[in-house]
Amino acid sequence: MSQSQFDPYVQNGGTTVAIAGDGFAILAGDTRSVNGYNINTRFQPRVHEVGDDLVIGASGFEADALALVKRIQQRIDLYHDNHERKMSAQSCACMVRTLLYGKRFFPYYVYTTVAGIDKEGKGEIYSFDPVGSYEREWCRAGGSAANFITPFLDNQVNLHNQYVPGSHGKERKPRRLLKLEEAMKITTDAFTSAGERHIEVGDSVLVKIITKEGVETRIIPLKKD
Amino acid sequence: MFMTRSEYDRGVNTFSPEGRLFQVEYAIEAIKLGSTAIGVKTKDAVVLGVEKRLTSPLMESHSVEKLFEIDSHIGCAISGLTADARTIIEHARVQTQNHRFTYDEPQGIESTTQSICDLALRFGEGEDGEERIMSRPFGVALLIAGIDEHGPQLYHSEPSGTYFRYEAKAIGSGSEPAKSELVKEFHKDMTLEEAEVLILKVLRQVMEEKLDSKNVQLAKVTAEGGFHIYNDEEMADAVAREQQRMD
Repeated sequence: MSQSQFDPYVQNGGTTVAIAGDGFAILAGDTRSVNGYNINTRFQPRVHEVGDDLVIGASGFEADALALVKRIQQRIDLYHDNHERKMSAQSCACMVRTLLYGKRFFPYYVYTTVAGIDKEGKGEIYSFDPVGSYEREWCRAGGSAANFITPFLDNQVNLHNQYVPGSHGKERKPRRLLKLEEAMKITTDAFTSAGERHIEVGDSVLVKIITKEGVETRIIPLKKD
Repeated sequence: MFMTRSEYDRGVNTFSPEGRLFQVEYAIEAIKLGSTAIGVKTKDAVVLGVEKRLTSPLMESHSVEKLFEIDSHIGCAISGLTADARTIIEHARVQTQNHRFTYDEPQGIESTTQSICDLALRFGEGEDGEERIMSRPFGVALLIAGIDEHGPQLYHSEPSGTYFRYEAKAIGSGSEPAKSELVKEFHKDMTLEEAEVLILKVLRQVMEEKLDSKNVQLAKVTAEGGFHIYNDEEMADAVAREQQRMD
């Protein structure tokens, strides 16, 4: 006997990587959307410009991700009408928290990242869990290949387990802010290697680069297998 | 006057044939009976001053409240029905706190003023689902002073729900002579101290009682200190400085 049940969530895969540095923030997401072993499309953007030099990354359940981004976009438009000011990344993150927590008991199945530039010109990355807990970070990998990429970012961006040569593991490498091209290299490497080992990652990477000049879009091709 | 208005001045939501809402106009009249309040904007601050009508020498002056903090960076002076002002200020406080909760930043001064004015026309029957909070228009006008990314700002809001931005403004019973005095004396590069003295000077001219440090009160908004209502020492000091100018 079969019993029908309510299955509201689907895992559509997808991975996002965000890195903040001196004068820039990068938010990148692969564009493959899957359902099980099937590929729905090879080009479904996961990173979205929402105006005010803010970029939202959302991966997990595609329908929820798109609904969330649409609501964020609406709220930013309303904010402009009511307050006649540009929304900062900090305010946007706080608002996204209220949107996510507002659905605490039927959550958006989405791993969200907000990227922007702060007043001092440093990149800002805010990463969220599906119910709105968030923090500001220098880098974050989210989505299905997050557990592949996180240790790589820990080592390359936050310099975990890196020591000054000759100090015999006594002196840690000092923290520094990345340059844009260094961060781009790390992002590209993260996705190409994740694409080798994770079936949900591939096709291409859509990269949004936020600087004080605005938002630039780049596309990095990945293997389509 | 009542012969010509008698048909249309009762309903709060009925226009007269000439296109006027008499109850709203009467509410604006009510403010002209209120105590005088003055606001002056300078380059980096806004100063508010109010007259406290102490109807009896036995009255304790600090119990007469006419200056209110809305948020740490916004405050207001009121003239008219104090009880109505409390409803408005309560609303404004909730709005500014909600803004902080949602956006992790202080609300702008103009948008706070707008949200105060949104309340003003919620009398009468109200639309479906909208909470009806008042059976009549508010009988109070506000001078809203605050500081945000656009610098110091001073707004005046009325029972009609309109608001305007001013560099210097007076409301209440003494507003007419006070306004012409402000037009004469105000200049754009006034210091905070000059603004304090100007407000006290104008209040002294328009008040019926003799001005002292007990029957007036000042407040200021600055970028460093936010909204601040003067305490007894600061009041005594400001009044002393104004008196020095006079002599």
